[in-house]
Amino acid sequence: MTGFARRLAGKLLAGLVMVWVVVTFTFFLVHALPGKPGDVQYESYIMQGFNPEEARAKVTAVYGFTSHDPLFSQYLGYLGRLLHGDLGQSVYYSGVPVSHLIWSALPWTVLPVLTGLLVSFLIGVIAGVIAAVKRSSRWGGLLSVSGSLVAGVPSFVLALLLLLVFHTEWHLLPDAGTSDITLEPGWSPEYVGSVVQHAVLPVISYALLSYGGWLLAMKSSVITVLGDDFILASELRGLAPVTRARYIGRNAILPLFTVLALSFGIMFAGSFFIEQTFDYPGLGELLLKSIGVRDYPVMAGAFLLITVAIIAANIVADLCYTLIDPRVRR
Amino acid sequence: MSRQRTLVAGLAAAVALTALSACSSSAKKTNNGDGGGAKKDGGVYTSIDANYQITAGAPMNPFNSSPNMFLGYDQMRLGFDKYNPLDPNDLFPGLAASWTATDTGLTVQLQPNAKWSDGTPVTVADIKTSLAIAYTQGTAGPVAGAGGTIVQGTNFEVSDVKDLGGGKIEIDQLPGVKNLYFQRLVLSATIVNDKVYSPQLPADIWTQIAAVQGPDPAAAKAAADKLSAEGKTIAAFAPAKDVSAGPFVLTRVGPGEALLDRNQYFFAVDKVAPKQVILRHYTGNQQIWGFLTNGELDSSPYTSMPTNIADQVVKAGYTRTDAPSYVSASIAFNEKQAPYNNTAVRQALAYVIDRDAVTKVGEPVGGIAAPYTTGLIGSQTDAFLSSDQKSALNAYKPDPAKAASLLQGAGFTKDGAGQWHLPDGSPWTITLQTVNGFSDWIAASTIVANELTAFGIKTTPAITADFATYQKEMGAGKYAVGWWLTALGPQTDKAYNRIYGAADGFSVVNGKATHSDTSPANWFHTPATYTVNGQTIDPGQLTADLSVTPVADQKPIIAQLAAATNQELPMIQIWNYTKVGFFTEKHFTNFPKTGSDALLLNPPGVWMMQGYIQAK
Repeated sequence: MTGFARRLAGKLLAGLVMVWVVVTFTFFLVHALPGKPGDVQYESYIMQGFNPEEARAKVTAVYGFTSHDPLFSQYLGYLGRLLHGDLGQSVYYSGVPVSHLIWSALPWTVLPVLTGLLVSFLIGVIAGVIAAVKRSSRWGGLLSVSGSLVAGVPSFVLALLLLLVFHTEWHLLPDAGTSDITLEPGWSPEYVGSVVQHAVLPVISYALLSYGGWLLAMKSSVITVLGDDFILASELRGLAPVTRARYIGRNAILPLFTVLALSFGIMFAGSFFIEQTFDYPGLGELLLKSIGVRDYPVMAGAFLLITVAIIAANIVADLCYTLIDPRVRR
Repeated sequence: MSRQRTLVAGLAAAVALTALSACSSSAKKTNNGDGGGAKKDGGVYTSIDANYQITAGAPMNPFNSSPNMFLGYDQMRLGFDKYNPLDPNDLFPGLAASWTATDTGLTVQLQPNAKWSDGTPVTVADIKTSLAIAYTQGTAGPVAGAGGTIVQGTNFEVSDVKDLGGGKIEIDQLPGVKNLYFQRLVLSATIVNDKVYSPQLPADIWTQIAAVQGPDPAAAKAAADKLSAEGKTIAAFAPAKDVSAGPFVLTRVGPGEALLDRNQYFFAVDKVAPKQVILRHYTGNQQIWGFLTNGELDSSPYTSMPTNIADQVVKAGYTRTDAPSYVSASIAFNEKQAPYNNTAVRQALAYVIDRDAVTKVGEPVGGIAAPYTTGLIGSQTDAFLSSDQKSALNAYKPDPAKAASLLQGAGFTKDGAGQWHLPDGSPWTITLQTVNGFSDWIAASTIVANELTAFGIKTTPAITADFATYQKEMGAGKYAVGWWLTALGPQTDKAYNRIYGAADGFSVVNGKATHSDTSPANWFHTPATYTVNGQTIDPGQLTADLSVTPVADQKPIIAQLAAATNQELPMIQIWNYTKVGFFTEKHFTNFPKTGSDALLLNPPGVWMMQGYIQAK
């Protein structure tokens, strides 16, 4: 077995143990929440205008999907099903497989969050390098201020501001939804264009929210690298500025790489505020709704997805790090 | 240089993508709410379905508890309830053109041209399958009683469905069971397509139903368990496509919207103007406010909103409609906790709380300050009580002097700083519990707290994290004073059951109510009986009696319950909710307006069936 394969096997094993620990913890945690699925929904149905008989009948249907076995026996059953790739059935959606609900919501989280993440990383890192190199100039200062400013604005304020400008005032972009429902889903230019158009504001929101963090982190990292001896040596040796910039960039980006990898995992949690503001329903909304109605299987399934994604991202980051930075392998 | 070129190429790609999106058809449609609207072909009607939030992945199955299925559009019933408190059997025709009550149940005449969206006629088999499914879903069958026994008669119970020919159907109620609301409950049952749903049911479903209704308790229990398991299969069923007998059929569901096309086979298709309906997803009131202020909806469902938003909506060109909502917001007491076990204390608090002022802040648009605390909403109180009976009710108009007198009479004292003290001398403080997400209750709690504090009872509003926790903790007796929904109607027995039911330790077996102060569900902890006008009454028994008393004969019972509730105040009704809606005639005309309560309490699909919503 090569060194890389050994490292991979070790990390996968540790990852599996970690997943089991988190799965166990979240299973008991979600069941410890006060309230029962049916009780919550009765009041909700009444508020929606159902008459008491209809509300009671619906609650009866919900109770039908709520396990009444002892909790530990439910836990063993849950683990057994997980080993077969079965996340169970939703209570709130009367038996719809949890994996189906998650799978249906997943694209509408991954599309805007992944795009926003990559865009913000790209722009933030470039701006961070400029802000560090030109830190004594007006432009460097402006970039740094822009990073601090955007990082300090709450997500819902930013999203509402974008909505006000681009939808309410300028009528440029749609305010809600994921595409024009009258278009047949597929790869037609109209449908793809509609999806892109509806994703613009959520993507900009995600991108702006994390842009400041990337910029400030990169700036700080570049400034640290600029003080290193090898940079001074490269200047003394008369290396071209482009070459020196490459040296600086490669070394400064290393700490950000781990954060980026973890962000890929965290993105599966979605962002409820942005999803809600742009009515762009993804995993964030599904998870929050499931908590509100005590849909234990969906809650556990969503937490599992987030956990696995973060642990997998962490493993990938660790392994890639050894490839990017040879010092780690020693 | 090559990296610069890459950057330029990337930027060019981004610009091209934006251009692509700008050129897409949706770019032209979604900007300012003018995308839909009436056109020569009928146009697009845009609204929100208040019953369910659209969820990608939820099935097109009305028996699922959170489906992508929309009542009045593609989900059909034999009739649609008019919510008439004085006539529970008053319905709009749906798939039933007419109906007649009989000694054994009722006969229904189907609409002569009733067809499914695949062009096949609606038949007796569809009705029979639908009623069998209702049995599996807890709507039609018996309910589980104590110790797993089967209790007949709580629901409507169909024993047989007979084809009389010519689209006429006889639907019989189980002999020996007399549910007063049989007609309304049967007509309100959801009707689905037999070909789609019967494969999900066992062939012997009616044999199983007969076993549940049979005399052998063990066989009945076994059959009920089997039906319950089959009910789960039905609820989880996800049909591949929608087959609708309603005015519309579901074409597509996205995460943010649902698209329905006009059902060309609908029996009254000539009355339905819109060619398509778009129902938008929402997660909260704020989104609906945004859609309305941007003029993006043709009509809206009931949405709680502050006055300034309502003004903006009207300014955006909408007309407001009001209809009664059979729900009240009340402040309830746990009478196990002193001093709330003292009637004089609850009455004193009622005299301190200015319901008009509280409603103006809590629910200024969708609430009317409750004129009385009777356990029913205002219009129901008006309908069931005579003017003499109403004039005998105490309106508890704000009167601090009367409140002080009642408290002093109960042994309370007031110190020099104006703070009230309990009879044992300790300062009286109140924690008024409310729940996160109920913005009206939270806002109203602040006003109630201010009023009580100004009177000398230091009151602090407290917010529970979510409703599930609130309900659990309230049931566990953790809160002494908290908000609660009451007067759930229009059935009066259901409204009183909210107070004098399980939450107050009452349970009913064979029409006989018993009271247990130690019952786990009991958190009101009122006494088992009240003395009103010198007479001892049992509110639990009177409530049980209501459920078996025809509406025409209910007035004497309601008079006693209303008087008892008004005197004893197990809760103080603060406001009665009003179903406030909005519509705009920008694209369509002939909307039902305020005064058309029966229509306004139903979804727009029902309006369209009746010939409302016409192209402009």
